[in-house]
Amino acid sequence: MRTRLAGWLFVLPALAVYGVFVLRPLALVAQYSLYRWDGVGQAVWVGWDNYTAVLTDPDLHRPLLNALLLVVLFTAGPIVLGLTLAAALQRGPTLILVLPQAVPPVAAGLAWSVLLSSTGAVNRTLEAIGLDNVTRAWLGDSSTALAAVGVIGAWALLGLCTLLLSAGVRRLDPSLYEAARLDGAGRWQEFRTVTLPGVRREIGVCVVITSLAALSSFDVVYVTTKGGPGGATAVPALEIFHLAFTDRQIGLASALAVLLVAVVLAFTAPVLRWSR
Amino acid sequence: MKLTTQIALAAVTLLPLAELLVTALHPPGTHPPGLTWPSDPHWSNFTDAFRSAHIDRALLSGALLVLTVVPAALALSTAAGYALARLPFPGRRIAEGLFLVGLVLPREAITLPLYQQVRDLGLLNTTTGLALALIAAHLPFGVLWMRTHFASTPPELTDSARVDGAGPWSALRRVHLPLADDALRSLALLLSVWTWNHLLFALVLVDDPLRRTAAGALDAFQGRWGTDVPLLCAGALLITAPVVVALALAHRRFADALVRGVAVR
Amino acid sequence: MSHRAGAVLAALTAIVVGCCAPGSAPQSTVDTSTTPGCGTADITLKARFETGFPLAKALADEFTRQHPNVTWDIREEQFDVLTRNALRVLADDPPDLMRLPQVSEAVRAGLLRDLDGYARTLGWDRRPSAQTRPLRVSPNGRPRGEGPLYATGLSTSVTGIFYDKEIAARIGIQEPRTLAELDNALARAKSAGITPIAGFNGGATGGLTFPLQSLMGVYSTPKSLDDWIFQRPGATIDTPSNIEAARHLARWLKAGYFDPDLNATDYARMMDRFTSGKALFMVNGDWESATLDRRMPNRAGFFLMPPRQAGHPRAAMAGPPTFGIPSRAARPDCAAAFLDWATTNPTARDLVVRVGGARPLGPTTPWPLDPASVTAATFAATDEVLTHDTAMDFIANATGAIYAKSWTPQLQRLAEGDQTPEGLLRAVQADYVAQTGG
Repeated sequence: MRTRLAGWLFVLPALAVYGVFVLRPLALVAQYSLYRWDGVGQAVWVGWDNYTAVLTDPDLHRPLLNALLLVVLFTAGPIVLGLTLAAALQRGPTLILVLPQAVPPVAAGLAWSVLLSSTGAVNRTLEAIGLDNVTRAWLGDSSTALAAVGVIGAWALLGLCTLLLSAGVRRLDPSLYEAARLDGAGRWQEFRTVTLPGVRREIGVCVVITSLAALSSFDVVYVTTKGGPGGATAVPALEIFHLAFTDRQIGLASALAVLLVAVVLAFTAPVLRWSR
Repeated sequence: MKLTTQIALAAVTLLPLAELLVTALHPPGTHPPGLTWPSDPHWSNFTDAFRSAHIDRALLSGALLVLTVVPAALALSTAAGYALARLPFPGRRIAEGLFLVGLVLPREAITLPLYQQVRDLGLLNTTTGLALALIAAHLPFGVLWMRTHFASTPPELTDSARVDGAGPWSALRRVHLPLADDALRSLALLLSVWTWNHLLFALVLVDDPLRRTAAGALDAFQGRWGTDVPLLCAGALLITAPVVVALALAHRRFADALVRGVAVR
Repeated sequence: MSHRAGAVLAALTAIVVGCCAPGSAPQSTVDTSTTPGCGTADITLKARFETGFPLAKALADEFTRQHPNVTWDIREEQFDVLTRNALRVLADDPPDLMRLPQVSEAVRAGLLRDLDGYARTLGWDRRPSAQTRPLRVSPNGRPRGEGPLYATGLSTSVTGIFYDKEIAARIGIQEPRTLAELDNALARAKSAGITPIAGFNGGATGGLTFPLQSLMGVYSTPKSLDDWIFQRPGATIDTPSNIEAARHLARWLKAGYFDPDLNATDYARMMDRFTSGKALFMVNGDWESATLDRRMPNRAGFFLMPPRQAGHPRAAMAGPPTFGIPSRAARPDCAAAFLDWATTNPTARDLVVRVGGARPLGPTTPWPLDPASVTAATFAATDEVLTHDTAMDFIANATGAIYAKSWTPQLQRLAEGDQTPEGLLRAVQADYVAQTGG
């Protein structure tokens, strides 16, 4: 009996802090999303209007679409390259692999915005190999800005994915490869029939991580483009920030936040189930 | 083949840091072309970052936050994680579910009510307010990390402690904590890096860039419309340096912790 | 007591200048209320200033030198941080003096002190109306441009076109007197391989508002633009003449008169390009005059946006960096005394010119300046705009969100050719209506 109460006593301090600063705000976001409110004056009940607005106003649902595109960009590179690296290296240089996870995203974003500027290293390399006609301010051109943000995200996540995937590869039973080789499988076939299914769980985990990073990408966009040019890199995180703090459209910001949470849950739950 | 792959990987990984360094050495106020070594390296930009942008105060503030947030988060996580793993109590699954929600919750979603909460407590623009918000944000991960750890210890430990007549508190302190040393160190490392690098809450809860996290301090370099790029790069390197040093000393633990942290999810 | 003497002096000169602000009936000049001051006891003034604009800090230091009992607790912030936090700071943590963005929302929320009392006592209401008009707000927040005074500046400000005299001489260009001559000069620079206009429009900045509004001032009138900016009922930006102006800007963009990375260029980089001789023109304001005189001495010139027909009055955006006193300020009198001192004390006025590069508020007395300096040119332009009363506020100030939410993204799209001039103004007007409730 003592233990039964003790359990709560042990959990309570953490739950209290967490409840006050995370759970209660979360509940408030859900409530605010049903009102029109400037944060100072009287709030007006508007029902689902904010959700309708977010889903129908191109300026407001574009961030959600951009976030989905970023999921693809943040995920594809790190997983494809990560699998290649994991297969080629088995054990990569740990320091190099984890470095991008430790560098502050604001510093990485700044460095990349210099690299990708009109006179930056990327363009100079392109000029050096005779591709002058494709050079541009990558983050300042609406046709490339989102992809450029994707490159920054991929840089940050590649090492972590490689690390996870190579751990998976190392755990595979060597006899599986021998068996495949006896069946006359080439390297590609071996990869497809042994490695890929073997690291299915790791791939799933990587997808969750990269998707989460893409869906809540605030730091890098805040430092590099602030959502520009012309909304090309507007992401929900930044849009919520602006709606809530600059425009003081608390209701719209909250509706967008709730939708973002829904998208995150919709993404992570099935992938986690699939990889289990 | 392996070597070239490794070199290519290292080059791509280090490229942004190299760019920060060479840009930081160009004359302040200029917009240097990418990756060119300046004819006259301005190492003074780093001292200017201390003098004119007071980066020393920013680094101190970042360190103070790490020293506040991490121990508090560790203590709360240990207690809660222990209870979730080892103390059967009614509603345990609910408590665990609540923390699971926080694990995937995008922080951006709750920023505004969080701001109001901190304001109503009179803690805007204080280290305390920002620290509390960061502790709370780290708790889901910390609690589930510690739960995973305690769940992996042999159940006989708890049983034997109970036979000895020890209550849950002394069982945790005498039996479990000494064995949790490694898990705690790894968690501390992860939380330190994440606290140091955190931007969003710092931006919203503390106006003065020099009283934020280290990452939030970069704003101190921004002017009305733009920025002094070389100085900004110098500042960015200075806030990056401590994590790189920490990583050089403990990259294996960090890598291991990242992988184990993923398993917590 | 030098500030009191200064106040009297300002009041006297204001009477001589003899101009009165709209809405403020020139009642008796004698006010029964006492002149605000800082007293003699030690006090600390809390202030929020803007990063990158050293004038306010320089004035504060000088004020302490002259009034040793007053010390300062100053926090400097980026303009976009100030904008984002203004209402919250005024409500939750009010300083005594604060650099403000557009003030109507703060007025509507009752967070700013009505300065009319100080204006009467200290003679601010006798300044040229162009200097006070944008800072008057009807008590419910709209329209702006009339009603009580809620903020004041430290200096005047004027915008126009800076040019590089060396480049101009090299390619044979003189200060254009008409818009056609300006177009001609742009084409000449382009064919000489020089960027015609240094601009900025990257990230969260819609710097194309500067050339756009300058062109609007040519095709339209400052009055009609102010009506829109001040949220007068029924005002619209989507007018045939403004569409003409937007088309003109689109032609400049299409002709490649801006650098191709315009949408990735921030303000600092634009300044760097202009001062290092990489562009002929730059549309900007006199807050940079002192910097330009320092970084490119005798090489920078300035002219107001030329009209379609030579000799017609030239309009200019002119909104001084504004400072207000929060309703809940602890020491409003001392803050007001400082604001007045900054525009009347001779040393302070000198600082305004040397550090701020702008004409001090109040009397338009002649000022000894090097005639070759760009500061002299912007001073002359300021006087011209005040004389013709052709100053207008910034279109970015129409509502709190119009710049970030509408002008910036729409102008970035215009720069890329993804938006038409007509579509630009239609979209901005739609947002404006949504934000102001019609």
